[in-house]
Amino acid sequence: MIVTLTVNGELRSASVPPETTLLVMLREHLHLTGAKTGCDVGDCGACTVIVDGLAVNACLMLAAQADGRTVTTIEGLATREGLHPLQKVFEETGALQCGFCGPGVIMTSKALLDHTPEPTPQEIRTALTGNLCRCTGYVKMIEGVQEAAAMMRSPQSPALAGQSPALAAPEQK
Amino acid sequence: MKPFGYVAAIDSEHAVALLAEYGKGAKVLAGGTDLLADLKFSPHPPPDVVVDISRAADLKGIALTDAGLRLGAMVTHSEIVHSPLIAEAAPALAEAAVVIGAVQTRNLGTIGGNLITCVPSMDSGPTLLALDARVTVLGPRGRREMPLSELFVGPRRTSLAFDEILIEIVVPTQNLHKPAAFQKFGLRKGQALALVNAAASFWAPDGVFTEPRIALGAVAPTVIRAPKAEAYLTGRPVSEEAMAEAGRIAATEAKPITDFRASAEYRRDLVAVLVKRALAGAFGRVTPNQKDLAS
Repeated sequence: MIVTLTVNGELRSASVPPETTLLVMLREHLHLTGAKTGCDVGDCGACTVIVDGLAVNACLMLAAQADGRTVTTIEGLATREGLHPLQKVFEETGALQCGFCGPGVIMTSKALLDHTPEPTPQEIRTALTGNLCRCTGYVKMIEGVQEAAAMMRSPQSPALAGQSPALAAPEQK
Repeated sequence: MKPFGYVAAIDSEHAVALLAEYGKGAKVLAGGTDLLADLKFSPHPPPDVVVDISRAADLKGIALTDAGLRLGAMVTHSEIVHSPLIAEAAPALAEAAVVIGAVQTRNLGTIGGNLITCVPSMDSGPTLLALDARVTVLGPRGRREMPLSELFVGPRRTSLAFDEILIEIVVPTQNLHKPAAFQKFGLRKGQALALVNAAASFWAPDGVFTEPRIALGAVAPTVIRAPKAEAYLTGRPVSEEAMAEAGRIAATEAKPITDFRASAEYRRDLVAVLVKRALAGAFGRVTPNQKDLAS
């Protein structure tokens, strides 16, 4: 069957067997390998993408279910001007170690910040419940999401200008 | 996954027509969070066709109707969590929805799917039973309506025929604003199945337990009520002691099993604790004019 998605702002179609998951379509048909295949049953969150504004497990959704919808993957976050604040903060603060869970964590966090620009640490923890990380212990991730949120709220968008006041603030190590 | 066909239903009538056409070779996909995980690892042959009802427009939406609070079967857990209508008229439903899976699964998974998958540990069931919810089913012979309790037959078994679908869940008007609460105990705070869950509701005119309801999950082949504990409470002045005793009685009504997550004894003890907490939580929602709000 032909499935057509708006992926990262571009209309993309592929002919896929009906049992193809959104994750397989993205990775194997559209060659967007940012979303990872982890547990493949919706426990680990490594495959998280945003569909119509909501974080979902791409492994638990048929490509056909996403037909006609808008999908954002980790590849869609950076712009010509630079990385997304979440990517930038995660990179600069070492919020990721092996990085396998990273795309999922960042997409879940982006969906959170899109709806909740000023999340509490508890809201961040709740949002990340479905993203397993076996390296970091999550502390730097949670701090990183707060820092990125602060950057995104500031009108000058310092992430795009290079140096971030949020990162330089003494209380946020 | 093993190959299967796919067809999307545009509405409930279309879904029923598709089920009639494909017969027992069809599997209904609601949110897909349980179905796809099953299909990937199932030793059984795949369905001939998956009938996707997630886009059926008439199965969506949370609304107040003459009958009560109506939830379309395709309402997602996240929609329940964020619904102002539910926060106002039946907040315990949101308490139960917010502890299902994780954000990603709550965004896909549906209340109808949770009920029809019919695992004993489902988190959607107890609160709805405690609010005397009714369900509507559509099949080739038309609509039929029944109490939610009659939907549950056994683990992963419902009273739906192969050519029927669940279309809506209704919390009756007289139970809107009824003080109710939900409790769950799992091995982790998130992304965990309930070892036990429980919900309770009651009115408290003049400080007396009135129409108490207690429902338990993960301690019997289906979600169940605890009628002896309810009978004990009926007409009794509201007190912590009575709540604790109702918990102890409910524990005798549970029929838990021992498995790799917990022993039967542990689950029975949890029933007593969670029922007491659910009753206390419901009492926390008692307001002086609650009956007026409902009428």
